Amino acid sequence: MKFLSTFWMGVKYLWRDPVMVIVSVAFPIVIILVLGTALDSMFDPEFGANFDPPRVAVVADVDNYLSEFLEDDNVRQFLDATFTDRVHAEEMVARGYVNIAIVEQGFGQPIKILLPAQQDDLAAVALAIVDSFQQIGAAATIAAMQGRDFTHLLGVDIEITSQPLGTRIPRAVDYYAITMLVMILLYTGLNGMELFHKGIFSDTGTRMRLCPISKPVLVGGLLGASTFTSFVQGMITFTFTAVVYGVYWGERIPLVILTIFGMVLFSQALCVLLIVIFEKRNVVGGIVQVLFFVTTFVSSGFIPVNFGELNRVFRFAPNALAQTAIFGAVYGGDNASIITSLIVLLGMGGVFAALSFIVGRRRVA
Amino acid sequence: MIASMTNIVKRYGSNTALDHMNMTIVKGEVLGLLGPNGAGKSTAIRVLTGLTGTDAGEAQLFGKKVKGHALDLKKRIGVVPQDLALYETLPAQDNLAYFGKLYGVTGVALKERVGEVLEILGLAEVAKKAPKKFSGGMKRRLNIGCAVMHKPELLILDEPTVGIDPQSRNHILDFIEEMARQGTTVLYTSHYMEEVARLCSRILIMDGGRVIAEGSVEEITRSVLFEETLALEVKDPSAVLLENIKHIQGVVSCEAAGQKITVVSTAGAANMHRILEVAMPNIILGVTAQRPTLEDAFLALTGKTLRDGGDA
Ligand SMILES: Nc1ncnc2c1ncn2[C@@H]1O[C@H](COP(=O)(O)OP(=O)(O)OP(=O)(O)O)[C@@H](O)[C@H]1O
Ligand SMILES: [Mg+2]
Repeated sequence: MKFLSTFWMGVKYLWRDPVMVIVSVAFPIVIILVLGTALDSMFDPEFGANFDPPRVAVVADVDNYLSEFLEDDNVRQFLDATFTDRVHAEEMVARGYVNIAIVEQGFGQPIKILLPAQQDDLAAVALAIVDSFQQIGAAATIAAMQGRDFTHLLGVDIEITSQPLGTRIPRAVDYYAITMLVMILLYTGLNGMELFHKGIFSDTGTRMRLCPISKPVLVGGLLGASTFTSFVQGMITFTFTAVVYGVYWGERIPLVILTIFGMVLFSQALCVLLIVIFEKRNVVGGIVQVLFFVTTFVSSGFIPVNFGELNRVFRFAPNALAQTAIFGAVYGGDNASIITSLIVLLGMGGVFAALSFIVGRRRVA
Repeated sequence: MIASMTNIVKRYGSNTALDHMNMTIVKGEVLGLLGPNGAGKSTAIRVLTGLTGTDAGEAQLFGKKVKGHALDLKKRIGVVPQDLALYETLPAQDNLAYFGKLYGVTGVALKERVGEVLEILGLAEVAKKAPKKFSGGMKRRLNIGCAVMHKPELLILDEPTVGIDPQSRNHILDFIEEMARQGTTVLYTSHYMEEVARLCSRILIMDGGRVIAEGSVEEITRSVLFEETLALEVKDPSAVLLENIKHIQGVVSCEAAGQKITVVSTAGAANMHRILEVAMPNIILGVTAQRPTLEDAFLALTGKTLRDGGDA
């Protein structure tokens, strides 16, 4: 009873705050349209179909010989190669940034070649490339004696996978619908921050401590309210972009919605932790503004950027995890990587929630 | 006895907010806690309601230690905090309803009580408006309303009239008087003398974390010995007249300004008739004897005025 009262009070409190509603509902709807229109040329579907020279994503241990070879001007005329990691390689194929991804899977494993579906003619190109890699590999064997192991590229089986990811290439508006939705889901953590600040740390919070309501019921009611509100706000953006902008959300809608929900939980946990630590709204607001801008940027949320080696780190940015899950769900990624991203995201959220609990118990004695 | 605080010591670092404070609240009374800024009034309330612990001493509510019994004691008291504590974006009636529900008021009873409280606090017309759009006085009234939804046995108000217009103030004082008439025990904190004098059957005066005087308004003023002041207005105050008055027993000083003569005598001198006798040959236009007020008592007790640094 007190839980439900608190829940509905919280929901109503958030919805009646005009700033909150503008930021979490109106803003994403506008920004998706603006970016989707302005940057449309960057996402020209022709871009993906054109392979002269072919663009290749390479996943391999850092190796001077291979990169020297690939960055040689003579080679560059024929091959535009980028080093990246496995997850990004798949994504790059999916989004049509590269025509081919060559993935070294470790010692004794076949080399994997990812191609967009319906572009099997690229297979010959890919094989030629791998073949040439092996040639350099042979030359490099000598160097390997100096301590750099290159040998596992030699005489390895090759496995060609037609990546079903490539069935559809996202338009700008499809791309930004995902990245901006993810960004705004992060910002919905401010709902949780706002309610926890109001109901626990402000003067109203002091009054709450004088009321006969137990702490778990209060915390549960507030968290329920901010999660529910944030989820609804995310779903409004989702539905609006689908219906009004005709954004493609794929066949696996439940998986997309599950990711939206996961992201909401994550951001509530993060922002509640911040308010428990700092207690002041404007401090948390400031941190969040900067933090979420950065995580969105490093996750290619505003424009697609390749950070090279740093991708290994940046793919653990919350935006990147959620984007991997949603792009995967929409453009046919495999369940394993979608679920893994979700689990990592929720795992981090769980850690934040646990920390909030520990710190919060001490703060509100 | 509804509440008691015995030898409470509360320190914030090196600052002693409560210094062996003692207080009891008897059922049915309206007890005033009067003191200047920083006297420790709010701290006393925080201790009594269990919001904060103590360094020494014991606080009891309804015969139980406050510590450890928090939840079941909370239902029996209503606290109006000094700082506004509302959900500003929610309509006034939703604020009242939410706090009512937290105190276990539900259904039809809740609906009726919301209407009743809105009515008596003069907020019925803005029931559906959010308090962020209210005037200071309206917010204060709603702040009180949220504490009385469950008709508490003990109502504690921490400076509920700070910074508001006289009309809202009157509304609030009327409301508290009505609650008291219906049998609610009240602890009223203020640094406004006249409010306390009007509402309270008993007063504690606090300063520096200690209770320095206790009793009814009369008892407190009588307990402090005052110099008595007589203001005379005569047609032609002559130097001889002033000289003569000065020689009356008990007179401390005698000064004239225009037609006004101010005569100050030691406490209990009882020399008013002598002064008038001496002055009689002149044409007396007016006489005022100034009686000590609670304000004077406070000044005498603490050496400060109540409004020192007041935030009103
Ligand atoms: N949380 C706190 N931390 C440190 N010092 C505090 C705290 N709360 C109160 N104090 C100090 O304790 C003393 C008593 O403060 P308190 O708020 O009880 O006074 P008050 O009588 O309510 O004054 P006012 O009329 O201004 O509300 C003051 O010196 C104040 O600075
Ligand atoms: Mg105070």
